[in-house]
This record gives sequence, structure tokens and C-alpha cells, in this order.
Amino acid sequence: MNIIETKDVNFYYGDFHALKGVSLDVAKNSVTAFIGPSGCGKSTFLRLMNRMNDLIPETRLTGKCLINGEDIYDKRIDVDVLRKKVGMVFQKPNPFPKTIFENIAYGLRVNGIKDKAFIQNRVEESLKSAALWEEVKDKLSRSAYDLSGGQQQRLCIARALAVKPDILLMDEPASALDPISTSKIEELIFTLKAEYTIVIVTHNMQQAARVSDTTGFFMLGELIEFSDTKKMFLNPSKEQTQNYITGRFG
Amino acid sequence: MRWWIEKIVEKIFAASGMITTVVILLIVIFLFKEGFGLFNSPVVEKGYALCVNAVNPVEHIGSTTIKKIYNSGIENWSEIGGFNEKIVPFRFDDIFGHYKEEEFGENYEKLPEKLGEVIAQTPGILAFIPEEYLPKGVEGVKILDGNTVRPEDFFLGQEWIPTSTPAPQFGVLPLILGTLWVSLIAILIATPLGMGVAIYLSELAQSRVRDILKPTVELLAGIPSVVYGFFGLVVLVPMVQKTFSLSVGETAFTGSVILAIMALPTIITVAEDAMRSTPRAMREASLALGATHWQTIYKVVIPYAISGISAAVVLGIGRAIGETMVALMVTGNAAIIPKTLFTPVRTIPATIAAELGEAPHGGVHYQALFVLGCVLFLITLVISISAELISKRQHNKGL
Amino acid sequence: MDKKLAQKIAFWIFRILGVFVVGILLWILGFIIYNGIGVISLEFIFDAPRDGMLKGGIFPAIVGTFCLIVGSMIVAFPLGVMSAIYTNEYVRDGKISRFIRMMTNNLGSIPSVIFGLFGMALFVNAMSWGDSIIAGSFTLGLLALPLVIRTTEEALRMVPDSLRVGSYALGASKLQTIRYVVLPTAFPNIVTGLILSIGRVSGETAPILFTVAAYFLPKLPSSIFDQVMALPYHLYVISTSGTNLEAARPVAYGTALVLITLVLIINFTASFIRRHFSKKLGGGH
Repeated sequence: MNIIETKDVNFYYGDFHALKGVSLDVAKNSVTAFIGPSGCGKSTFLRLMNRMNDLIPETRLTGKCLINGEDIYDKRIDVDVLRKKVGMVFQKPNPFPKTIFENIAYGLRVNGIKDKAFIQNRVEESLKSAALWEEVKDKLSRSAYDLSGGQQQRLCIARALAVKPDILLMDEPASALDPISTSKIEELIFTLKAEYTIVIVTHNMQQAARVSDTTGFFMLGELIEFSDTKKMFLNPSKEQTQNYITGRFG
Repeated sequence: MRWWIEKIVEKIFAASGMITTVVILLIVIFLFKEGFGLFNSPVVEKGYALCVNAVNPVEHIGSTTIKKIYNSGIENWSEIGGFNEKIVPFRFDDIFGHYKEEEFGENYEKLPEKLGEVIAQTPGILAFIPEEYLPKGVEGVKILDGNTVRPEDFFLGQEWIPTSTPAPQFGVLPLILGTLWVSLIAILIATPLGMGVAIYLSELAQSRVRDILKPTVELLAGIPSVVYGFFGLVVLVPMVQKTFSLSVGETAFTGSVILAIMALPTIITVAEDAMRSTPRAMREASLALGATHWQTIYKVVIPYAISGISAAVVLGIGRAIGETMVALMVTGNAAIIPKTLFTPVRTIPATIAAELGEAPHGGVHYQALFVLGCVLFLITLVISISAELISKRQHNKGL
Repeated sequence: MDKKLAQKIAFWIFRILGVFVVGILLWILGFIIYNGIGVISLEFIFDAPRDGMLKGGIFPAIVGTFCLIVGSMIVAFPLGVMSAIYTNEYVRDGKISRFIRMMTNNLGSIPSVIFGLFGMALFVNAMSWGDSIIAGSFTLGLLALPLVIRTTEEALRMVPDSLRVGSYALGASKLQTIRYVVLPTAFPNIVTGLILSIGRVSGETAPILFTVAAYFLPKLPSSIFDQVMALPYHLYVISTSGTNLEAARPVAYGTALVLITLVLIINFTASFIRRHFSKKLGGGH
């Protein structure tokens, strides 16, 4: 069953045609990776799915983008509810200047949950899912800024998980991290797959090859190839993909 | 040659770089120099002196005490730490009740002698006499010539009446409280208003609306204070009077409203800058968790910008405290300790502006106004330093 | 409460506040223009006051304000620009520049009435210049100094470092770089700052009360040691003191309108120059 379906999506920043007729489907509980040179539109495409691009003035979208069969650009769609269902982790860790606990509880609080015991449980559960619990359980009331960069990023993942999204979007989540933190994040993605559908943008092709089931290759706003990860890396059907992959591998 | 020119020019630039420091130093020096003499000046009106009977142990009488004595508020020396004797306040004119006009001699040359007699005969006397008729060297008379203005009379005195006789009253308490009162109300009005506009500008307004609103705010800042004062005088004063059915419309509240309008641009600009400096990543993180825009503003943006916002408010207070013309024109200028919103008050800057022209150069009143200037200077200095410290915290946050 | 509803209410409040602030400005401007426009005439602008300042014009006050603008800028402009050059080009980000900036900020936060006290003590009394244009100009000049320094510094900071480096690479000295590259590039913005300072100075009342302003002086100054009338002080005087305040109201409205027009023209000029030249700079890239 496909949780995300896009049909002929075009996206414009003013006059700039950033995405050109992208159509793809993402299966439930899978990991999908988008790769491509910088400025190819992969991040833009990712940010369409929780309508983060709404924040940029003078942008325009055509085509259809469905999540769970619903057009998320329909007028009746409540963007806040959509974003609760489609969580996001950003390129750089961006914890709030609050305590570790409050960072995780934030998403619950803004969605109207006041039950203290419930929040407590959910915070613990999320931190465990993000493999951070053991490291921070004794300092939940410390500032999130006391954590290392890798821990901060896992905190941001935990924060996203706390609202129980269906989909987790990750925009180059490990690009600002050291190799050890990166491998921790990758392991995490692997375990999270059981419960969540994950879409990840990465500039690191090995990473895409390691963590994803399906890979999409973007170039100049076009989706060049979208197929099973193994096939893509071993036997790409398009020459551009081949060039990009081999060029990168050297 | 070229090297020398470079060096010399650099030295000139360096000297100019120090100009603000020099000016601040000069301001401090001159304010203190002109005002400092106050605490060495006699308590009583210029050209007069106080005398008591020689048996009276009292050496110093403060200005407020003198006023109370002459208004019969204090009747016994024991009340002010002296001996148990009824106080007999004596003004110069009273001498004509004791003696006949011709007893003073043709040119009043015997006047000091007669005054001395009266003083020596009355143990409880407190005499207020022109210096030229002072009974110098008369036995039984003690001239209180070391009786200078004391800091406690100045800083804790509750009355500001520079023309009061025998002792002018320089109590700054009502002025300080008046200043703070007006500024406080002004900032209470201006903060929510300014914050609202700052949020609107930084978060909601489309660029077209911003293009109108920002210059408007700048224009508000550009209008001269005397024009605000004039506007307050002809529009707001009658309005306040009518709306609240008061006997006069010049009140603390009237001044506060105008001061609030004047503080708005400062608050709006500084607070808007602070909110705009919230990283986009913070907003996106919040929105991505399903928070509404408004939740993001008050749970993320405002907490993040809080030190900048506080600095804005503090700067706004500073602006209101130092404002002269508006306070002078619409607050009523009554030097009484404010008790309600609608009492007329008198602020420190307004007092200086209103009275310096009439105060003789170098006199007690002149000195008192300069000390008042020092007080105002210190208050604003404290405010500007705290604003600086508060906004510094912003930069250290998150490191 | 429903979070959508909360947002709707909050945002409407902010919108109303925004409109409210514009409304205040329009109210003040509209009120003064409405009441003052009928008073304005050639006679009002070019005549001296007559009949206890109830009739005639305000020419001496306009001239006085003009003298003070020129005088104060002669004091503030060179000093301020040199100071800014020093902090921005010579010591840049060290302790000294931080100290200077702090002092500039502190000077800027001192209330104008204190400048009045100071100017009276130093220029009027200690230097025995008496109430005079020169005493008033120095007082106002020092008052404007922080503004001149701050705007000039901003202007200098907007000059890209690549230009400086380029100049050094050609063997130019520091002074030459400042003279031929930095100052010409920053010039429009420095002028904007100068104009803004003029706007500030022309409306100040408290500092000139005891240093220069004359209550009534229907002749023009002949030297820098003369007293003058000034627009803001004149407005203060005719709106608060005098025997017949009601009869003096038209003159007050007219004076307020002239003063406000002057300040608005100055501010508009400044923002026009800024916008014009920032476009030019932007187009060059």
C-alpha cells in the first residue's frame, strides 16, 4: 500500500522552475532516499510533503500530492494536523533553547495534551526509540544545548517521534555530524522502519545505499530514476544515474 | 613623509574616537561641579541666617524641620532632639512688635543690638534674620552658620518648593516618584501595543504592509517632542478632562499616554529586530511538530527573543524618563507625590526645564537643579547599562 | 481553547494594533495639518512676529533653527565621521572599539535636558559665550554626535571588505584606501545619517532652552554670539505662556505645521537617498 503518492508535481520559486513533473509513490513502512547534486530539488520535494514550502513567499505548486489518499494541498486540509502526521528532522540539529524534556514535550503540548503522566511516558518512550534515553535519562531538565551535536540530532528525532507521526521526513539528517554519530543515526533509521515510513534526503550515496529500500535520483528538478535501491546502485537504467553514481564513487 | 602623514591622521582619528568618552566625562564633571556646592550651601534663603539662644544645644536644623516650625507643625525643641523648651519662631518683622521704630536709630544701626536682646531673652527662640542685621558677637546669641543643606533633606524630602521662606524646600522625592510613575504607566501602555505591532511586523505582515508600517513607525520617532507636547496639550488634555470629569486635564495619565506613543517606535523596532533574529530552524522545527503559527510565536519566537524584547522595554522606559517637553507641557507640574493616575505630577526633566531659567546662576536653587540633573543622569545611566547587559545575554544564549 | 481560534483572535488583535499605530500618526499629522494649513502664508513664513507674537510670522525662528542646524552639524559631522572611521577602519573589533561603541551608546541615552544643563554650565557660563548660537550649536552638536557616529559606522560597515582588500593589493595605504575607496562608497549612506541627525537636531527643545533660545527677538542674528529664536522653542512658548493662549493658537498650529513639515522633508530626503543608492549598489552586482 502506498502512503505517499505524487502525480506530476511542478514547483516554482517565483519564475524558477524547481520541480518538473515529479511523480512517485512511497510504500508504507519503507525507507526511501532521494539523492542528487545540490540544487536538484530533492529537499524542495521533501518539504512539499509537510507543506514546509508554504513558508516561502511567492512559490507555486501544480500537480497532486496525496498522503493516505488525501490531497494535502486541498483547501480543507489543516496544515497543523498534516504536519503532526508528517514529522520532520532537519539538516542541522535545531533543538529549542529549552530543557531536554521540554523539547520532547513541546509537540504534545502544542497539540493540546495536558496530562502530565502521559507526557512523561511519551517523552521516555520517544527518547528510547531515538536511542538517546540511556544517555540523557539523568539530565532531562538540563538545557538541550548541553548535548553534543549527534545527541542533539537524535533529540530532534525523538521530538519528532513524540507526536507519533505516520511519516518521518529527514533532510540530510547526518550531514552536520561526525561519522560515529552518523552511524548511530543510520542504525536508528533501520529500527524505526518497523513503525514509520521514512523519507530521507542525502548527499551521501553510501548512506542511501545502506539505509534505503527505494531510491530516487533527482537532477535539475527532474526525477531521473526511481527504483529499488539495490537495482539503482548495481544496475541503473539511465545513463545520467550511472554517471552520477560512478562519478561519485570515483 | 607619507608614513608620517598616515600616522598623524591616525592619531587624529583616534582622538576623535575618544570624543564620546570625553563628552560623557565632561558632562559628569560639570553636573557635579555645578551641583556639588548644594550640600555646602546654607539651608535658609540667600541673604538670611538663623539664630538661636546661646543655651540652645541645637546645631543643625534641616529645611523640612524649619518649615514645620514656622508652620507650627513642631512646637517643642525636644521634638527635634533639643532641650525641653517651647519653640518661639521669630521672623525679622516681628522685631517691630517688641520695639518702637525710633529705638532702632536713624539708619537702623541699633537693629542688630535689639535683635540680639530679644534672642538672648528668649531661650526657645528661632530667629530668621537678614545677614546685614545679624547680631554678631552679642552675648547669648548663637548664629547657626554651619547649617547647610543635608543629603537626607534633599533625597528624602517630600516637598519641592524652591521659593519657600525661611527655608526653600528641595525634596526630590516627589519629583523622582513623579518621573517613575509617569514612565511606568507609559511603559505599561506602550509595551503591549508595541509588542503587538512588533509581532505583526515581524511575523504576519506582508511585504506591502510592512513597507507602509515601518516608515510610519520611523516617522512617529521623527516627530519632535515639542509637537507631541503641543498635540497633547490641545487634544488630549481636554479629552482626559472631559472623559474622566476632572477639574484639570493635565495629569500623570495624560503625560503617560503621550510618552507611550513616543516610546512605541523604540519598543517596536528593537523588539522586531529581536524576533526577526530567531533562527528559521527554530520556527520550522516548531511548525513541523504541528504547532500553529501563533503557538510558534509565543512558545518559541518570543522566548527566544525575550532578552531583546526586555531590552526594548527598558530602552523605552529610558526614553520616557528623560523626556522633557511632553512632561513639561501636559503633566500639570505639581510637585506632589503621585497617588492616583489622575493626579498632576512633576517630573525631574520638566522641573529642570521649567526652573533653570529663573534660578540665579550659582545660587542654591541652581545647584539643586544640577544635583537633580545628576540624579536623572544616574537613573538613565543605570537604565542604559541594564539594557546593554540584558541584550548581551541574548548573544551568549545557546553557547 | 481551540488553538486555531486562539490564533485567529491573536492575529486579529495584532492587525488592529498595526492599524492603530498608523492611525495615531495620521491623527497627529492630520490634526496639525488641518488646523495649521490655513495659517500658512508667505507673510507667516517671511515676517517677524508682531503684536505680542499673536500676529505676523515666524521668520526669525526659521532662520534661528537653520543657524542651529548648520552650527551643530559643523560641530558633530567631522568629529562623528572621524570617530566612526577610527572604530570601523582602525580598531575594528578589539576592546577599544567595543569601549567606544559602549560610550557612544551611553552618550546617546543621556536625556536631552541634561545636554541643556551641561551646555549651560560649560558653553554659556564657563566659556562665557552667553546665550548664543555658538553655545547652542555646540550643545546640539554633542547631542547629535552619537547618531552621526552610529549611522556613519553602519555606512562604513556596508562597504564590502573585498573593496578594501582590492585597494591594498594595488599598494594603496590605509589612508588612501579610506580616502579613495571606503569613503566614496559609503558616502550616500553617510549623508543619510547626516540628514537624519539634522532632523533630530531641528526638533530639539530642551537643550536650547538655556543655551541659545530667545523668547522674542524679532531681528535676525548678526554674529554667532547672538541669541536666536528657534521653531521648537517658539512653539513651546506660544502654546504654554503668554497672556492670551487662545488667541495665539493659530500661530501655534502654523508653527507646529512648519516644524513638522521641515522634519518630515528631512526624513523623506534621508530615506529617498538611502533607497536610491541601495538600489544602485544592488544593481551593480
